[in-house]
Amino acid sequence: MTWQRETFKKIKQIPREEHVLPGTSLCAGCGGLESLRLAAKVLGDDVVYVNAAGCFTMLAVYPFTPFKGSWLYTTMGSAPAGAQGVRDALDVLIAKGRLPKSENLKVVVLGGDGSTYDMALSSTSGAIYRGLDFYYFCYDNEAYGNTGMQLSAATPYGARTSTSPCSLQHPFATMQEKKDIFEIWRAHKPPYIATVAPRYPLDLEEKFARAAKVTGPKLFLALSACPTGWLYDPGETPEVAKLAVETGLWPLKEAINGVVTHTYVPKLSPVETYLKLQGRFRHLFEPTLQKEAIAHIQGSVNAYWERVNLAERTG
Amino acid sequence: MRAVRFHGRGGQGAKTASRILGTAAFLEGFVAQDSPIYGAERRGAPVAAYTRIAKEPILERGLIIHPDLVVVADASLIHDPAARVLEGIDERTAVFVNSPLTGEQLRTQTSLPGRLTTLDLTEISVREFGKRGALSALLGAVAGRLVGLRQDSLGQAIARELADLSLAASVIERNQAVALNCYDAVRPVSVEAGASQPILPAQLQPPTYEPPTRGTARISAAANSVLRETGGWRTFRPVLVPDKCNGCWLCFVYCPDGVISMTKDDKPLIDYDHCKGCQICVHECPTDALVAEREKEGGVAWRAK
Repeated sequence: MTWQRETFKKIKQIPREEHVLPGTSLCAGCGGLESLRLAAKVLGDDVVYVNAAGCFTMLAVYPFTPFKGSWLYTTMGSAPAGAQGVRDALDVLIAKGRLPKSENLKVVVLGGDGSTYDMALSSTSGAIYRGLDFYYFCYDNEAYGNTGMQLSAATPYGARTSTSPCSLQHPFATMQEKKDIFEIWRAHKPPYIATVAPRYPLDLEEKFARAAKVTGPKLFLALSACPTGWLYDPGETPEVAKLAVETGLWPLKEAINGVVTHTYVPKLSPVETYLKLQGRFRHLFEPTLQKEAIAHIQGSVNAYWERVNLAERTG
Repeated sequence: MRAVRFHGRGGQGAKTASRILGTAAFLEGFVAQDSPIYGAERRGAPVAAYTRIAKEPILERGLIIHPDLVVVADASLIHDPAARVLEGIDERTAVFVNSPLTGEQLRTQTSLPGRLTTLDLTEISVREFGKRGALSALLGAVAGRLVGLRQDSLGQAIARELADLSLAASVIERNQAVALNCYDAVRPVSVEAGASQPILPAQLQPPTYEPPTRGTARISAAANSVLRETGGWRTFRPVLVPDKCNGCWLCFVYCPDGVISMTKDDKPLIDYDHCKGCQICVHECPTDALVAEREKEGGVAWRAK
């Protein structure tokens, strides 16, 4: 079954209007901001962003905000709980007639991978369980980026971070596998989950447009290529995102009520093309080529896509 | 004691330069202290770093308010009030600026006091390394020359500090060679120890209680981030070659900061007040209609509104 885009078919259908304005102090070439800006083109201005501490703290540095809507700042572990409070307040005000229905707002959690994969996991689980009507936008740059790239549960095998450096004991740097947060979320069977990458803007916009029709938890995992932490030139952010998808490392997919569909079929280029571009994987190529580690990464990608193909053949 | 203050933008290497200077001084038998300071902001935002060098134990700590030497990695910072480059500079302060202009030209343009010397380190970095950032070894070597440290200790310090950043051996060697060329190329100005500042007893100021309605930071404006101009972050600016543009919208779509808008006839319009110079549009343009041009001195100045 091939996935069809219904709303966004051509690049020029992407709205011209900006909803995340410039002047933020996020890094030049930020892949997370690239995704958020595109997502906001569908979300619009009638939004309350509930922002967990992380790189996106830099969106609104007092006294400046890039949003026309509202922005609430929370601790790393409590953004979904904050979203529940905002949603409840809006619902109560509307029910009592103190806020007209036309002024209803969307509640959107912004969380990094440190927050999403670790600290906010229980509060997200609770929010999905309660069927909270909200969006969760995770900008995943695979480490604690705002504090200097420390290992997070989203850091992939073989990546070098400041707390999982390459050493004699650990020549491949990070030994842990990236936590599969998509599957953890999916086990809760929320109405909508999707992965997105900003290099595939129509896929991204389409998914936000589809989610807009759904009431309940709508969760997004956005690949956020990070020049500062992944160590590549800021201009290569889209290229890195493209290779993450084309090598099969970052599958573009959605899950509706727990049923998964892959929305893009990648070429499955060798993982080296993706790894080689980034300084965080340089120790896998020099001074000695770490064939074992690269084969391990390639092996997990191959195994993933074999499972996908098998599942789609057997329907 | 010599007090050296470095100013740069996040990613340019001001912090590592201060470490290189401190390590080189230490290798020559001096007492050295170095520490960086930056806010929550990241790449491109102002960063300062401090190095103190002395023969005797250093009892001072913290920020350097009255520097003997100021090293400026990015001339666009001079007029950025947030960077506080001019703080504590007077006629006797030695000032190095990474700039294609001479000291005299810079003095007329910027009204910088002090003994000025310049060298175009960005040009050297682009030529030798093909990179815009990566100035740490160069800045460290120049600062070392100005305070009177030796080439061999600076070379060793560069090797140590860059190895700590897990750079490849070939990159470190290249950095050493280019940095020592800068060591020779910079026009020296004398760096003298300033009069020691009287040390005042610390004063404790107990914070006053404010109710959350006043004590919590609240922003009661919408979309006012545009008042902060991030255009000064750039070393290169994207420039449109109109004839080559096929109006495909890709630059507009991929720009993370949303500083590119499309005109009615589908040509990109770049907001240079806010473009951070990431070069994504230049990389992604399928017809090479956007090219990167080196920012010229005074071409864009950070303005506070």
